[in-house]
Amino acid sequence: MLDWGVIVHYFPFLLKGAVLTLQISILSLLLGIACGLIAALCKLSKNPLLRWPAAFYIWLIRSTPLLVQLFIIYFGLPQIGIDLGPFLSGVIGLGLNVGAYNAETIRGGIVSIPVGQTEAARSLAMSSSLAMRRIILPQALRVIIPPMGNNFIILIKDTSLVSTITLVELTLTAQRFIGSTYKPFEMYLMAAFLYAVMTTTASLLLAKLEKRTSRGHR
Amino acid sequence: MKTENQDQTQPMVKITNLQKSFGDLTVLKDINLEIAASEVVVIIGPSGSGKSTLLRCVNHLEKPSGGEIYIEGELINDTTLKTKAFETHLNRIRCKVGMVFQQFNLFPHMTVIENVIEAPIHVLKQDRKKARKKAEELLTQVGLAEKLNSYPAQLSGGQQQRVAIARSLAMEPKLMLFDEVTSALDPELVGDVLRVMEDLALGGMTMMVVTHEMGFAEKVGDRVIFMADGFVVEDSSPQEMFSNPKEIRTQQFLAEI
Ligand SMILES: Nc1ncnc2c1ncn2[C@@H]1O[C@H](COP(=O)(O)OP(=O)(O)OP(=O)(O)O)[C@@H](O)[C@H]1O
Ligand SMILES: [Mg+2]
Repeated sequence: MLDWGVIVHYFPFLLKGAVLTLQISILSLLLGIACGLIAALCKLSKNPLLRWPAAFYIWLIRSTPLLVQLFIIYFGLPQIGIDLGPFLSGVIGLGLNVGAYNAETIRGGIVSIPVGQTEAARSLAMSSSLAMRRIILPQALRVIIPPMGNNFIILIKDTSLVSTITLVELTLTAQRFIGSTYKPFEMYLMAAFLYAVMTTTASLLLAKLEKRTSRGHR
Repeated sequence: MKTENQDQTQPMVKITNLQKSFGDLTVLKDINLEIAASEVVVIIGPSGSGKSTLLRCVNHLEKPSGGEIYIEGELINDTTLKTKAFETHLNRIRCKVGMVFQQFNLFPHMTVIENVIEAPIHVLKQDRKKARKKAEELLTQVGLAEKLNSYPAQLSGGQQQRVAIARSLAMEPKLMLFDEVTSALDPELVGDVLRVMEDLALGGMTMMVVTHEMGFAEKVGDRVIFMADGFVVEDSSPQEMFSNPKEIRTQQFLAEI
């Protein structure tokens, strides 16, 4: 059945690929949170010069496949003189992608907070940005974190797509060793196992975070 | 900046020709009102007559469609100011005007004391220690010294409303707006809130109070205003208003309640 010798021998190499996967995931996550927050606030703005570009970004990303987005950044941009290399292309592609989904999640969380909260804050002479930062966003976080955590889990799995732009992360590492070992079953099972470890750990951390943001709610 | 001439007898609030429309619906048609410092003005009227809208215009939660509102002689809806300058101007005036809502609107993610010190620290830039000390005093004053570290969800409606009053008072306002602050409360909790408001009135606070509590209006009010169809129909002392209303609209309204 399974060739345990191959598994024991190649596991450390796949683990190395998984480390790169994790790095890409975390960097894209941070970029995705920043993009998501900015796009959400812009889309909620009264100013059309902020609202329209944000709406366009969200629409564009959500209506095209991630793989095509990655190809445009990695293969397409160099044609107009922007050569980011595989790592940056991967992180930016994934970050912009998850950012668009986060934007809708964050916007939904913000508008779910009763308008009375903003009115109370404004009547206490808080500026709109202070009210957003201290009153609305902390409450919205409770609503935002579960679906955004879900976006992050999807992101970890989607990092396997950057194997197509020559980034030797977990999936591509597994693929490469198949060429020399002819053991696709072992290699892909190990990769699957490592993805499962990462996504499950992320889920557990998120559950903890959810608990912490539900302060004051019974 | 437009200001009325400043003198000793300057009213706390002066409203002239105030209009407010929502789309085609004109809620306030022509409101004219002066409120002196330390005066307690109770506003009554049928549902939909624009009582809440009037209060909300006074601290600019609603933007008037026409007319002027002056707080201590300063025009709040100053249309000559640009966006940024207007926000600064507005927040400076809002520091002087506290508002308490029917639904309390406490910040649920903060404890009672955190609710009270939030604006003093982040808006008035008060030192945290000083803000806490003041907040403890205020919460003691409204009978909640035991609840400093509770969350709003752990309090009764009456307790939440008293926290909301303390939260407004922490800004040391000169004018307080109360919009049906006891309407969402169980009857047995109304008294505690009204007592806090009465104490505040005795302490000299200028107050605009929308309420259905006619007992409170009679006992605490200096003046009662009856609003209907977007106008101030009658404006008199509580005694006059309740024992001898002049306008037919007022008589009908008071007969119904
Ligand atoms: N934001 C809004 N948009 C549209 N219409 C509004 C808005 N706010 C209030 N109105 C309308 O304005 C009218 C007056 O409302 P307002 O809340 O000021 O009345 P009120 O005297 O406080 O009534 P109540 O005693 O029921 O509280 C109502 O017909 C209401 O539907
Ligand atoms: Mg009302």
